[in-house]
Parts: sequence; C-alpha cells; structure tokens
Amino acid sequence: MDGRFRAFSFVDRITRLDPGHRIEGQYTVPASASRFPPALMAEAVGQLAAWAAMSQLDFTHRPVAGLAGETRYHGAAMPGQTLQLAAFIEQCDQEAIAYGGTASIDGQRVVELVHCVGPMLPMVDFDAPVAVRADFATLLGPGAPSGRFAGVDALLVQTIEHSAGKRLRAELQVPSAAPYFDDHFPRRPVFPGTLLMDSLSALALELASDMPSLRDGRPVVTSVRDVKIRTFTAPGQRLELVADVESSSADVIRMKLAARIAGKTIASARIDVARSH
Amino acid sequence: MREVRDQSISRQEIEAVFPKVAQVIADALGCDVEDVKPQVPLIEGLDAESIDFLDLVFRLERSFGVKIPRGKIVEDARGDMSEADFEQQGIVTEAGLARLREFLGEVPADRFKTPMKAADIPRLFTPETFCKVVVRAQRSVAAAA
Repeated sequence: MDGRFRAFSFVDRITRLDPGHRIEGQYTVPASASRFPPALMAEAVGQLAAWAAMSQLDFTHRPVAGLAGETRYHGAAMPGQTLQLAAFIEQCDQEAIAYGGTASIDGQRVVELVHCVGPMLPMVDFDAPVAVRADFATLLGPGAPSGRFAGVDALLVQTIEHSAGKRLRAELQVPSAAPYFDDHFPRRPVFPGTLLMDSLSALALELASDMPSLRDGRPVVTSVRDVKIRTFTAPGQRLELVADVESSSADVIRMKLAARIAGKTIASARIDVARSH
Repeated sequence: MREVRDQSISRQEIEAVFPKVAQVIADALGCDVEDVKPQVPLIEGLDAESIDFLDLVFRLERSFGVKIPRGKIVEDARGDMSEADFEQQGIVTEAGLARLREFLGEVPADRFKTPMKAADIPRLFTPETFCKVVVRAQRSVAAAA
C-alpha cells in the first residue's frame, strides 16, 4: 500500500479552515511530473472540499465523485508550479456535499468549479477513518511532503469509429493495476472520475482537431459542464467512450461526452473546445 | 393532468411550476422536455437513477430559489407518524402505505406494490411529485418572509 496518501493526493497543506464555509490550501505539481492533466487541477479543488466535508462529519463519511455543474479552464499547471486552492462549501451533511472552488497560480485563476455535488458514502468502505484523520492533521499542521505524485501513465485508448466533424468513439482499457488505485481508494480501488474525464476530453480534442474552425490553432478545453458520474469504474474494466458534436461555430465547438460499460452510460458530460490563441 | 388528490395543493399551483420543473428534469436526465409528462415514473419511464435525484434536487433549489432537504418527500409523507410505524425492517407498513397513497395522490393505485421496500419508494416519484415538493418549498419561503 505504498501509494496511500501519495499516488493520487493533490493537497499538500491546508492553510485555512472555516468549518462549514470555506477551506484553502496549496499543492505543488512535482517538478518531475511529465504530465499534469488539467482535470487534476479540478481534482485538487475537489479533494480540498472533500477534506472540509470529511472533517465536518468527523471522518464517518467521505464524498465521492458525482456531479460537477461546470468546470472552467483558464490555464494549465506546469511541473514545479504551486496551485493555491480554495473551496466554498454550500451544503454538507451525511448525504452530500455541495461546493464550488478555484485553483490559482501566482494570483491568476486557472480553474473554477461551479455547482459541484459529491454524494457521501461510509468512510469505512474506502479507507481507515483513523488514518484519514491523521492525514488531515498532517495537512493542517506541517503539511505533507510535496513531490508525492509520480504522474499517471497514458491510458490505452483505441479508436473504433471516427466520423470526421461529427463523432469519435473509442475503447478505453482501464488498467488492472496502477499506483493511483492504492490511494483512490485504499480499501476499494476505483478508477478516478477525473482521469475518466481526462480521457473523454482527449477524445473531444482529437475530434475537434480536424474541424475547419479549429484547424488554424491548437484546440483547448475551455469548459466542461453537467458532469455526472453514475457508477464506480473498477480496475481492469473496458469502457466505450463517445464524443458527439452538438454545435460548431467559429469560436467554440460543443460536444456531448459519454462513457459506457456494456451499453449502459456510466458517466456523461458536455464540453466546449476552443482554439488556443 | 390527473385530478390532484392532495387537497392542500391546487391544480393551478402545480400547473404554474410544471413547465420549469419539466425543463429542470429534462436537463438533469438529458432527455427531451417533451418526454417529461406529469405522471411518467422517473425511474421506470425516464431511466432516472439515485444520482439523478440528487442532481434534480440541487437543480430545483437553484432554479426556484428554495431549499429542499434531501429525503423531504418521504419525510413529508410520513408526517407525524413515527419511523417505526411507517416502516419495519425496510418494508413499508400497511399504515405507511396508506400515508404514501394519500400523499402521492398523483400516482396510480396499481403502482403501490405490497409489500413495498422503503428503498423502492422513489420508484413512485413522477414530475408531478417534484412539482408538489417545489410548491411546498415555495410556501415555506413565503411563510418565513
């Protein structure tokens, strides 16, 4: 269990806690990380909100990925940079946490989360409450050592249908073993929803790259809306990923995203892709 | 629209909020608003799952500017009845079922199965159920003002 509180933990220190209302913290992207997907900035904000929720409920429950109304991307985090994180708790009880939040680098906002909801589940199903409580004390006190995250390997995605400008469908093989499963979660490995969204975003960017309105620039994700994670994805599962273009203009391409297992939708979202200037 | 049997809420009140509730449901479930009929069962008819109900409640709160405590429908249906009188070992009692039939008057009688698991109560919910939730929440806001 070497990866616990390391392999998929994106808060190094909690710098302010106003229980039930607001939490602030920071996270430094390891200088050695070859890749830090933008979705992991959103993961860091979500994890900060989760610490607020878990401490508020005395570590009896923990939130899991559920709904994200909108995630707006304004920039990216490079290896070595420090994210200043903030989360605003709208509601929190034993059923769910509702929150929003931001991540900034050197005072510039790089990501915003709006209207997010994490369903609460019993902590004992996912981790040892006593260990999580100790981790929280570490984050509130001296902080956890930075550089714990070793990166995530590129996932195996195979295109199965490509209708230019309309649809891209692919198969994603979730690894049966990966360091992040030790941390997410120690007692029940679950493929992180943000890595699933990262794979779906990559599919959307690939579909956008050959569309006329974006040919002259590099496509970037500007917003992901209506994210809904319906069920857990276990190690080794095979997912079908689909990106469908809903509308396209000179400024933005809007797509609908879905992940399915055996034909059943297990996650969905909408995404805006624009040209990087 | 079926006759409103919950006398405390008028048909006009339900019809006033229905278009917006239907749009919220369509947005939450990713379906066409035309498919959101007042009495369609949300689970069997529109494939809603538990995460959708959570989504729906938060969207309704934002759209109508009200607070809807989760679990509110069952809690309101139970009213002053104790939890033990309402359900036992996860099964809704006869008295509890009678309360539910009265409270969810918009739901056809043949959809109240016996025995009914408490966990299956959301299978009864329809868009009209949530219209009534919104009307009650609006009344709470008005009463508090």
